[in-house]
Amino acid sequence: MEKRNFWSPYIAGAGIGLALLAAFYVMGWGLAASRAYALVAAVGLKGVSPGYAGSLDYFSGYLKAASPLKDWILFEVFGVLAGALAGAVSSGGFKPRFDRPAGMSTGRRLTTAAAGGILIGFASRLSRGCTSGVALSGGAQLAVSGWIFVIAMFAGGFVVAAVFRRLWS
Amino acid sequence: MTAPLYGYGMFGPDTGLVLAVVIGFFFGLFLERGGLGDPHKLTGVFYLRDFTVPKVMFTAILVAATGLYLLSDLNLLDMKRVWVVPTYFWPQIVGGAVFGAGFVLSGYCPGTAVAGLATGRLDALVVMAGIAAGSLLFAVLYPYVEGFYSSSAMGLATWQGLLGVNHWIVIAALSAAAAAMFYFMERFESRDR
Repeated sequence: MEKRNFWSPYIAGAGIGLALLAAFYVMGWGLAASRAYALVAAVGLKGVSPGYAGSLDYFSGYLKAASPLKDWILFEVFGVLAGALAGAVSSGGFKPRFDRPAGMSTGRRLTTAAAGGILIGFASRLSRGCTSGVALSGGAQLAVSGWIFVIAMFAGGFVVAAVFRRLWS
Repeated sequence: MTAPLYGYGMFGPDTGLVLAVVIGFFFGLFLERGGLGDPHKLTGVFYLRDFTVPKVMFTAILVAATGLYLLSDLNLLDMKRVWVVPTYFWPQIVGGAVFGAGFVLSGYCPGTAVAGLATGRLDALVVMAGIAAGSLLFAVLYPYVEGFYSSSAMGLATWQGLLGVNHWIVIAALSAAAAAMFYFMERFESRDR
């Protein structure tokens, strides 16, 4: 693993906490991420097959707006991309690459990345959010949702890490 | 009391979109600078070799919780107008566990994949496509999972509501637990080196 000049995790955590607090104070809701993917998937499907997209009950909420892409969450995620890019470039950490666990083949990395992503996408919808929308935002509200999600997430992660011991060791 | 500012009509939706970029910018900046664009660091906790994720996560939660309830107690923020994440017990337990499995397999989560991509990691792009595909899969299978998805609803449940205690008791207890956890993580990591 490359050594990088990262900030203290407590400083980074405090910064994220203040960004989250700003979202609550300014907008009245927290940070989120996974809904942006569902929104893009819904709009993408509508572009390919409007009839089928319209037949999916779950996407009706995403597609009812006049311009579904003009959504707070998409702009927030665009900001995340810009902020992380600024952080990476300013610290000399930007480098195009295909990152993977040590010794893993490209084919296997494509498989774990895609399969893991699909599990995350499905699970985020089932949980009504992800590490941002449920764990961070719900956690800070002291909502039961945020804390049970976090505990279950670590439990699920530890089980998979125990089964695939050399995946990211 | 005039906050949340948007909820009190201090500005319109278009200004809200500009603020979304600004707030997201700082979220992304701190994620990347904390090392959370790096899948090796993101998965470290699951292999007990790098505890960056829980340190960042619980610090962020407790800083935001303290600020949120302080503003509310000082009558500077109307909690009734803050959207609270609803609780659906079993869907969020099962969803959380499956999410954790996907996290370890892929090396990212939805927000950190964006941070990873911003560092030039193209594998994060594959994970992002997977997350969109998984969301689509959920929408397609929704008629079959709708029953479970809507089960064990607990509304806008909070720990202080459930336990019947003041919210500062909950924040103090969680802070004490986090402090103890951080202490042991630091000790464990320094022994490693």
